[in-house]
Amino acid sequence: MVQYVHHKADTRGLDHNGRLDSKKTFSFADYYNPKRMGFGALRVLNDDVLAGGKGFGSHPHDNMEIISIPLSGSLRHEDSLGNNAVVQAGQVQVISAGSGLFHSEYNHSASLPASFLQIWIYPAALNTKPRYTRTNLPLAEQQNKLYTFIRPGGSGHSIAVRPDTWMSMGIFDKGAQVRYPLQEEGNGLYAFVIAGEFAIEGKVLQTRDGLGILNSKAIAAQSLSDAASLLLIEVPMDLSTIL
Amino acid sequence: MLSQPISILAIGYHQPIMEVVHRLINSHGNWQGDLALSLDAARTKLAKGVYDAVLLCVGVSSEDEAILTQIMKTSLPEARMIRHFGGGSGLLESEIRKTMEQQPFK
Repeated sequence: MVQYVHHKADTRGLDHNGRLDSKKTFSFADYYNPKRMGFGALRVLNDDVLAGGKGFGSHPHDNMEIISIPLSGSLRHEDSLGNNAVVQAGQVQVISAGSGLFHSEYNHSASLPASFLQIWIYPAALNTKPRYTRTNLPLAEQQNKLYTFIRPGGSGHSIAVRPDTWMSMGIFDKGAQVRYPLQEEGNGLYAFVIAGEFAIEGKVLQTRDGLGILNSKAIAAQSLSDAASLLLIEVPMDLSTIL
Repeated sequence: MLSQPISILAIGYHQPIMEVVHRLINSHGNWQGDLALSLDAARTKLAKGVYDAVLLCVGVSSEDEAILTQIMKTSLPEARMIRHFGGGSGLLESEIRKTMEQQPFK
């Protein structure tokens, strides 16, 4: 039987200070809710806004796939692998932290805020070689379609994080419909509305709402507003191999 | 509510990362951290020390985890084992709290 878990935007954990305005779908840092510990391999979904010139100084990570999607503005990334990049809205970066690295992320603008989604996916294996990748998200050129930017093997402009994980985004006109067939049996799908409003499987989701869907082979979504933006994250639900 | 801080042995093989993890643990009001930077060091500390929880961090393989599990069954049967992901402050609080809440002390 298909199961749903609806996380309304206003139920997320909040963290607000002069540097960062963060809304956390799942437990992270000081926000702890034992009922919000992730969705399968999806562990973190933070909706962050960094004030101008602010950021996260050098700090470590290991054994996590960390995906950053700037929604407005740009981030300046530096890491101990020697990477130095500016990642802007319309791009995505992936840090496969593996056996460990240090990195910093700052708002590239000294004055304007930068908003981005920070998504953490449990790795498929422990202590792998760390790597950094980024790619473009040509969403405006593919209106009313989903663009898959995370996929196993990472062909074309997509990036691989796990052999069983996919992420897709799209921008839709009001009334546009999209169907997403799940790629792998046993996977769950987490839908996150970045902008506008959608009906997904008959449930209305507002901006920044999330909907986890279990035991489904495909989902149907319809945009209820113009310039509505949707993120779909397909992940394995069984993590017994690493957890 | 525990009156004593939770005593945690953090085991990991990447020294710069483990120094950060150690600092994070000890900056938390309810936790007290010790550090082992190798499997041998972990064996020694588990044989002599008393810990409420063992935190498996960067570099600790599944094989090492199996070895440490066996050691703990003998020397610290009531301690909890926690696999730490992410290497920093992001998940530390929820990983430790969730585990300590799930399995109350005897």
